[in-house]
Amino acid sequence: MFDDDTFIVSFPKSGNTWTRFLIAHLLHPEEPATFGNIDRLIPESEGLTRSQFARIPRPRVMKSHEYFDARLQKVIYIVRDPRDVAVSQFHFSRKRRRIADDYSIEQFVTRFVAGETCDYGSWGENVASWLVTRQNSSDFLLLRYEDMVARTDAELTRVASFLGVPATPDLIAQSVERCSADQMRKLEGTKATASVTKNTRQDIPFVRAAGSGGWKTSLPEKSVVELETAWAPLMTWLGYEPALVKTGTASETRIQAFAPGAPVR
Amino acid sequence: MMYGAKRIAKYLLGSDIAGRQIAVRPDDTFIVSYPRSGNTWTRFLIANLLFAGQPISFANIERLIPDAEAQSSRYMKRVPSPRVIKSHQYFDHRYPKVLYITRDPRDVAVSYYNFSRKYRHIADDYLLEQYVHGFVTGTLLSSAWGTWAENVGTWVAARNGQPTFLLLRYEDLIADTQTELAKVARFFGVEASPAALSRAIENSSADHLRELEKKEGGQWVTTKNKRSDIPFIGSAAVGKWKSVLPGASIEEIESAWGNTMAQLGYELVTRKEVAVETQLAASTVHRELGQ
Repeated sequence: MFDDDTFIVSFPKSGNTWTRFLIAHLLHPEEPATFGNIDRLIPESEGLTRSQFARIPRPRVMKSHEYFDARLQKVIYIVRDPRDVAVSQFHFSRKRRRIADDYSIEQFVTRFVAGETCDYGSWGENVASWLVTRQNSSDFLLLRYEDMVARTDAELTRVASFLGVPATPDLIAQSVERCSADQMRKLEGTKATASVTKNTRQDIPFVRAAGSGGWKTSLPEKSVVELETAWAPLMTWLGYEPALVKTGTASETRIQAFAPGAPVR
Repeated sequence: MMYGAKRIAKYLLGSDIAGRQIAVRPDDTFIVSYPRSGNTWTRFLIANLLFAGQPISFANIERLIPDAEAQSSRYMKRVPSPRVIKSHQYFDHRYPKVLYITRDPRDVAVSYYNFSRKYRHIADDYLLEQYVHGFVTGTLLSSAWGTWAENVGTWVAARNGQPTFLLLRYEDLIADTQTELAKVARFFGVEASPAALSRAIENSSADHLRELEKKEGGQWVTTKNKRSDIPFIGSAAVGKWKSVLPGASIEEIESAWGNTMAQLGYELVTRKEVAVETQLAASTVHRELGQ
């Protein structure tokens, strides 16, 4: 790894691919990103051999889903409401044939909370491990997926200045337009060869609703309670108000943000 | 860097150090801490509780509670389940059950400095102040385990409050060993009478461990071929930093890790705590602006 490496990190299904496309357009406006070339433009650090890794031209921007890794110096971390993440990962797991079609979302959420649905820790572990170590660092940029959706231009401008990329409003606007959910769905339809979609079911799209708050209609109450019981303080701190589980005031959750779930002492 | 053929050969032979790549089993329990935080002492306490029938020493501790940072993958594979394993790694989500020991980083720095001289990682005239700078910025050898705050922070943030996680402070362990060890026994699901606890404590005392180190230090994987004029078992003291650490070093540690220290109950002397609020406020600013 090099000092000038930047990693786009998030728990899976939190808008990493979209952000990757947006950044690819910022860095390489001359070569529109597709699912065919994205693995070259912004490689997935976990999917490369050591020699492939060494051949990427610097400064490198790479994608990762890892929880805290001390070697990663410069990090853009994207966080998303875990209730939406759970719904999205549920569909993604069906797409990848990890679960059968009749596997219930209640069952899935229980395993999701326990951190058993992927290899990157639980949502809370992943998010908390980065926040607690890096949240004050000038080499750490925290993005909320919901903010990215609500005002993509403004958030992408922050990303550009974090990366030190001179970005005119025109370039920002162009990148945003090229990466609209519609555009992304079209791209997925024509070239679904990227590592994220290879060998998966074609009847379930990778680029899905791209919205926020979808959990309100698709998550059973029991699952919402389960998610919020596990992570209410951390959620509150990130601005994801728990709907069914009560948490303390902001100042009570202050301590708990350090240790989601319980005061340290 | 030890990439390449030698590394691959070691991997294939299983003679590579288990370390972060250790194959974890669902019934493993890990004793985790940053280095120089009382891990060895705790290891002895636990070994004396769990294997009460035999005298615990540096000659058998690696068999009973092996060190994943010192033993090979093949060795770890042969240890029968359920294993109790020593580790210095920062958060690893595969660890199913973790006892985490934390210690005042100002004392850790002092202890680590002596340890680094023992290991000949630094010369005798290496300045403590310079050492502390490396300790805080993570540029010393210790960075393999993250910085102190990264190590403690990731574990506590990810796991504290869960029944599979027990957080101990070295200082509490020193001040009231009996009470803290009783917590450990419960965590391991071991019935321990006050007499059994006392026996384990006696058999793990700093004096006793120092004696054992004198006799067996030459054979133990951790101290073999290291300077024997500086003991591995340090002073086992709390607050030594107050008389040893230069003011600038105290300030450096506290300004880097003050929030984490304050939350763990390590009182700051060069600044006020509760900078946490500013810290959180700063990163919520953009959110409030936008909504």
